[in-house]
Amino acid sequence: MELATAPRFLQVTSRVAENVLLARNTFRIRLHAPELAARIRPGQFLMVRLAGTSDPLLGRPFALYDTVLDAQDRPIALDVVYLVVGKMTTRLATLRPDDRVELWGPLGNGFPDLSGREHVALVAGGIGQTPFLAHVRELLGKRGYGGDPARRRVQRVSLYYGVRTADLAAGVEDFERAGAAVHVASDDGSVGFHGFVTQLLGRHEPPAHLVGCGPEPMLRALANLAGTWKVPCHLSLETPMACGVGICFSCVTRVRTDDGWDYRRVCVEGPVFDAANLARDDRTGMHHG
Amino acid sequence: MDLSATLGRLTLRNPILVASGTFGYAREMAGLVDFSKLGGIVPKTVTQKPRPGNAPPRTVETASGMLNAIGLDNDGIDHFIAHHLPYLRTLPTAIIANIAGKSEDEFVQMAEQIGKESGLAALELNLSCPNVSGGVDFAIHPEVTHRVIERVRAVCPLPLIAKLTPNVTDVVAIARAAADGGADCVSLINTIMGMAIDWKKRRPILGNTTGGLSGPAIKPVALRMVWQVARQVKVPVIGIGGIATVDDVMEFLVAGASAVQMGTVNFYDPSAAMRVVGQLPEALGVLGASSIREVVGTLD
Repeated sequence: MELATAPRFLQVTSRVAENVLLARNTFRIRLHAPELAARIRPGQFLMVRLAGTSDPLLGRPFALYDTVLDAQDRPIALDVVYLVVGKMTTRLATLRPDDRVELWGPLGNGFPDLSGREHVALVAGGIGQTPFLAHVRELLGKRGYGGDPARRRVQRVSLYYGVRTADLAAGVEDFERAGAAVHVASDDGSVGFHGFVTQLLGRHEPPAHLVGCGPEPMLRALANLAGTWKVPCHLSLETPMACGVGICFSCVTRVRTDDGWDYRRVCVEGPVFDAANLARDDRTGMHHG
Repeated sequence: MDLSATLGRLTLRNPILVASGTFGYAREMAGLVDFSKLGGIVPKTVTQKPRPGNAPPRTVETASGMLNAIGLDNDGIDHFIAHHLPYLRTLPTAIIANIAGKSEDEFVQMAEQIGKESGLAALELNLSCPNVSGGVDFAIHPEVTHRVIERVRAVCPLPLIAKLTPNVTDVVAIARAAADGGADCVSLINTIMGMAIDWKKRRPILGNTTGGLSGPAIKPVALRMVWQVARQVKVPVIGIGGIATVDDVMEFLVAGASAVQMGTVNFYDPSAAMRVVGQLPEALGVLGASSIREVVGTLD
């Protein structure tokens, strides 16, 4: 039984420190939230909501891009990278320093500990690169999270990053600076490999572990490749979420059980799942239903 | 200040409850929400057999509201009693179980089973979930509503709350039938049936095609129905529908609700219910009142 000793998550009003353009329609917003930044781990997410309005009403889930440290190396803020796609992100892009947003988190399970693997490949499509920066830094011992000291966990990390076109590639320099070998693919050939990121990945030697985040067809292709290679694979899912904390039962995905499958909440049992545990919908072939 | 709320046989520490389906099984909120501040918790609806729920997408945001079609995703009453109730009954607030049957017999069997359990303050009957196909829409027929409650009353000693749907022509007739059948109080409104469409794909957005609208968008409808029922039906009313602030709570109390349930707001402001409880004394003071009951049903 869980004891209500420490909060599982925090709800805070946060001050916007900066909100800068990283790529076309893609922004990095820096949110002052020391307690949250001290606790969040790579692969976890937070809910962001605009204060003082009922439209948009609900918060939206955003992956931790990375924490920000002060001069004494204490976590003081966190960065979120978002693509402008709808009502909420359009409004988010208009925020300026000292504006306020509502936050709650850290939420979700985060990435598994991959200590001891020689080579980990992170595979991203679209805006799916955002959870991976903190993961690279943690894996290569550049940064500790959630109070843990920095400790090198793996020898090498590669990022395979697929975008539709060159000007949507966001944060490539951040990943290179963090020490990842970055391989870019684009649908139109305007940058890097011309084709799908999973096709690019398939031309390389299998890594010891795969982690994917991106659109459903990409995740499916990645899981198939992992199966062919017999390489363990984790997927970070994004499903429509209302609360982020497990109370609304919106964000479910099909997970294998002893007698078939059952819907499980991505916000509390995920967002990171072992690809082998996900069950696809026979009708659509999709993980999400 | 006397914040207590009186609902027939049921007395609550204060009139702020959290609504079924919007607070999980409370565990999820442990640590963030101080349960001892709440008037009570209504955990997610339980059905007799486990239900996987509807295919996603299950929710979609609309203007100042949201549609949901979760489909009563739950692991069944035996699992609820074995795994959730032992935790819930340790919490320092009133726990009101919520059940939904697919038939009258299921309601009666579940009420009998759960009525034997300790640690429950009351039982809410979900007569009105709009997202379960193949079932009977109990609370759209006065006779059926009356009969279900009468039969449940006979086998379950807990105070009974009949949760009513707004998707009817005359909610007062249904509320009266519930009261005549033996309900200690009625709670309203459940969600309003709605729909969202992606016109470019010519497809409904929800996996279930239709869903229930909730959130601030439905508050005026809820307020009107609570007012109508409270002045015409003898049992206490629990107001539900888009309640997010202390002002919303006061509006429902003045309209005739003896208590309220906060629902969708828990999704977008998880500490809202606890915060509103803290704001109640000042709001009562504005009306020169020193207790909740002094303001209930005082619309001029």
